[in-house]
Amino acid sequence: MQMTRNLAIVAAAGLLGLACQARATPQGFLETVHRHVTLASMSPDNGDLNPYAVVVAPVSAGKIQKDDVLVDNFNNISNLQGTGTTIVDFNPTTKQTTLFAQIPQKLAQCPGGVGLTTAMTMLKSGWVIVGSTPSTDGTTATKGDGCVLVLDPNGKLVATWSGPTINDPWGNMAVIDNGSTATLFISMAGFGIPGPDVLDPATHYPVTVRKATVLRLELSIPDGQPPKLLSQTIVGDGFAQRADRDNFLFGPTGLALDEAGTLYVTDGLDNVITAIPDAISRTTSAGTGKVVTHDELLAWPLAMAWAPDGHLLVCNGKNGQVVEVDPATGKQIYGQWIDSDQAQSPPGNGDLFGLAMSPDGASFYYVEDDMNTLVKAAK
Amino acid sequence: MRKSEDITGASRRSFLTGAAGIAGAVAAAPTLAQAGSFKGEAYAFWGAHQAGIVTPQQSHSYFAAFDLVAEKREDVAALMRLWTAAAAALTAGQALTGAADDDAPAADSGEAAGLSPSRLTITFGFGPGLFTKDGKDRYGLAGLRPAALIDLPRFNGDQLVAERTGGDLSIQACADDAQVAFHAVRQLARIGYDQARLRWAQPGFIGGYAPGKTPRNLMGFKDGTMNPVVTDAKLMNQVVWAGADDAAWMRGGSYQVARPIRIALEHWDRMKLSFQEQCMGRRKDSGAAFGKIAELDPIDLDAVDKDGNPLIPENSHVRLGAPAKNDGAQVLRRSYSYDNGLGFVAERWPPWRQGMEFDAGLLFVCYQRDPRTGFVKIFENMSKFDMMNQFVTHIGGGLFACPPGAAPGHFIGEALFSAT
Repeated sequence: MQMTRNLAIVAAAGLLGLACQARATPQGFLETVHRHVTLASMSPDNGDLNPYAVVVAPVSAGKIQKDDVLVDNFNNISNLQGTGTTIVDFNPTTKQTTLFAQIPQKLAQCPGGVGLTTAMTMLKSGWVIVGSTPSTDGTTATKGDGCVLVLDPNGKLVATWSGPTINDPWGNMAVIDNGSTATLFISMAGFGIPGPDVLDPATHYPVTVRKATVLRLELSIPDGQPPKLLSQTIVGDGFAQRADRDNFLFGPTGLALDEAGTLYVTDGLDNVITAIPDAISRTTSAGTGKVVTHDELLAWPLAMAWAPDGHLLVCNGKNGQVVEVDPATGKQIYGQWIDSDQAQSPPGNGDLFGLAMSPDGASFYYVEDDMNTLVKAAK
Repeated sequence: MRKSEDITGASRRSFLTGAAGIAGAVAAAPTLAQAGSFKGEAYAFWGAHQAGIVTPQQSHSYFAAFDLVAEKREDVAALMRLWTAAAAALTAGQALTGAADDDAPAADSGEAAGLSPSRLTITFGFGPGLFTKDGKDRYGLAGLRPAALIDLPRFNGDQLVAERTGGDLSIQACADDAQVAFHAVRQLARIGYDQARLRWAQPGFIGGYAPGKTPRNLMGFKDGTMNPVVTDAKLMNQVVWAGADDAAWMRGGSYQVARPIRIALEHWDRMKLSFQEQCMGRRKDSGAAFGKIAELDPIDLDAVDKDGNPLIPENSHVRLGAPAKNDGAQVLRRSYSYDNGLGFVAERWPPWRQGMEFDAGLLFVCYQRDPRTGFVKIFENMSKFDMMNQFVTHIGGGLFACPPGAAPGHFIGEALFSAT
């Protein structure tokens, strides 16, 4: 909520807030961001709610213009999680919002149906790839394994990938896009999660399982044809997961790949960011990888994106802050309230999920579940 | 079902004793009165416009929507004739009278006996279903449906319950006494038993504020500060009354949007005062917009802080509803709070509280010359971005064309039913 989103920079533990302000040289990207402007409602005519993925179009193709912002919805009009079927296209130039795609909720080739997640990307070849983590009652009690869906640039479904390695593709993708080939990294958060009423007697929370993976998918994209899935490799596994009535599930969510081939992963339940080395080339799983940073400002870290200064921006699930992390040192530089909606407690709790940098690197887009809106954070 | 000849005959005989006809009965209003029942302030029923629209707001209201089961246009016309006559009597503080027959139901249920007119107004409206229902033109009126009487679009966040939505006819009775308002609708519903069935109803109230003071709704904020001034006849012609561009039978009438809006009071009451004020864009105590001192100080939508963020929050209620943000669009709001006791509720917004909660809120009512440039224009945007949407849910309602007023001897909507 704009006005309440006071632009306070939240100092990491051990840093004095005053010291932050006194510094002349910027420590990071977030301190250059001062305005948060609501751009559009992401709820299309069918009433879908709960915007998840945020993807900036790399090219113009079909119904999409370059730099358009694509956002999908996880919930249907009844606000049941795992039932959203729409992808909305916001054009920053015209400010117009259009429906890019609406996929049938029941889809034989996608086990359990369709509930679109934060796992979405658009390739330079124009294909849009999006994950499904479906449910029929809004909880993991009726969860299906889901699938990965491939759409053409006009929003038409052209391929569906499912199988034993694909179980509820969940968090934002990391992508290497070479045009005729591409590599996708997707977190698979669904393996073995029961319904939210299956409680751990020790914690009284839904039981935690540790079967989630990060999957690498190698694609070839023949000219004018849909991407073909050539191979899959599990590069990380053993991530914590559990059901949650309010948040559907917790699991590995945010992915970001650096130029050296290290893949950073957010794990909300353990409140940690880890690093999987050699993610592009490795042939075995690195387990959950090496811990980069944990706790402090992180509060159920979700989607992740690169800031232009080489830092990571991470959305918190448990409050409305985005946190800036230097992956080289593991230092959490600061956080910023990008959603301080006090209708939730703590403010912004459960509101954030996907985020994406704008093409000029000066601002970033994010979604707010409280109002089902797309927002831009800018100088 | 009764035939139309029964309605004008038997029904009239049942409560309009000795009148030569409805028109005659109305003109000779005293025949409808119980001697001595006329006391307290009464508003004129007859006039160019229906009362209850630009009339100063009374403290209570009872809103009812009906489904028509009448088979013929004449039956509906006869009902409106009866309703008009009865409304004229009721608003004058008179009881309905019939044959003195102890073996027949009384013409008046009696609970308003001894009560003053209490500024009772009764405002009739016609829903889209009068003109076309399920694709059928039941009464040969489809061609007379005004373009402005649209089917309201679905708005973002709508959770409309069928049992509280729509209706072919509407009645809003407003009075300074809840019993007088309810009594009025009760009599009209009984008169209409054979032709119109109650679909949904909502009683409402506003506090007893001094004249000229803006009432507060259940959110604790003043509601109606930016309402257009009803004594400005020119402005009312611009904003409220249907004009020459509308169907001939609607000129001088107005379009009524009525929407029961549930307010999550338990959630709202847990919010900090400062956050409530940010949602509204006004101070709770004074009603002044941010950056201003007094309630009626003009709002400054362009004021910004040092970072360029608007002083009156981007998604605040006052900003999104301001005419300046809606191409000048205005409506005349005439809403009432409601309290239906408790109900089981699953809230729509985080933290998704579930349980027994107050079933309370606002029966939002507004009037305008054209809903397409009034309510729809304004609410389209508000339904998406208003921060208050986290606490309020539209759960029903409808759009009704309220015809102009009637002169003695005529009835509300007569020009429609007599049109060819």
